[in-house]
Amino acid sequence: MMVSKDTATMRETGEASGKRPGIGWPIAISLATIFLAAFVAGYLDGTAGAGHPIMPTPLGAGLVVLAGAVAMGLYLRRVGAFWRDWSRRKRLYWASLIGAGLIGALAATLLHSGRVEVGGDPFFSNSALSPTIAIILALLWIGGLAVTAFFYQRVIDDHEERAYLWAGLAGFYAFIIPAPAWWALARASILPPVDAMLLVLFAVIANAAVYFWLKFR
Amino acid sequence: MNNQLKVLRAMRNWSQAELADRLDVSRQAVNAIETGKYDPSLPLAFKLARLFAMPIEEIFDDGFEGHRDDA
Repeated sequence: MMVSKDTATMRETGEASGKRPGIGWPIAISLATIFLAAFVAGYLDGTAGAGHPIMPTPLGAGLVVLAGAVAMGLYLRRVGAFWRDWSRRKRLYWASLIGAGLIGALAATLLHSGRVEVGGDPFFSNSALSPTIAIILALLWIGGLAVTAFFYQRVIDDHEERAYLWAGLAGFYAFIIPAPAWWALARASILPPVDAMLLVLFAVIANAAVYFWLKFR
Repeated sequence: MNNQLKVLRAMRNWSQAELADRLDVSRQAVNAIETGKYDPSLPLAFKLARLFAMPIEEIFDDGFEGHRDDA
């Protein structure tokens, strides 16, 4: 069989590749940033509560997060030879995953900080949110998910595409089967009113279970 | 579907990760093909055939033992 241009362009790895960086530093930087930001926020809240405000809490926590981002940037620059050697598909793939993770972390932070009522579970309760936070969350969910999903679906390989599609179908069934049944039973006062977010959570769990099974078994 | 991927890879002393990089797929994809948990798409099968410079049917075996005309 003739060797095509396709083969010629296949990457000869192991020659120009940089050394595979460990995952320890990114985890350490992320954890240090989160804990330090929480500590600074707590300290600033405490001083403000005692009548001696040093600076606004969001500013203090934001400065810590900024320092963490700079540290992460310096680390990525140091190990740049490794990921610059990746194919375009692989770089976009990881960018879409990290992007989705950052959007999730930002949404969780907003959910936690945007509660009007204090107390209760910040993530799965239906407690009131401030309108500004609610609008930002909705836009983040719709826009962020659409953009990251667009890039992710364009760059996944065959194997992951199959896992993703079957997982999507499992999530669909996990929503479409119980939702109308619950709705009908709720109309007869047999069950409490339909909780959409509980159904979404169930669908996401079914989706994740099938995805991880097909991708990593 | 049976395949010779593990043997062909071992003959070249490549790790799963190295083969995955050459095919621009994930290491999990190579592992799933080798263990028969996943049959690759036609484009990926052709890519494998080109990489190993072999016909697809010498890499993959669907277990069919009759004549080609019987298929």
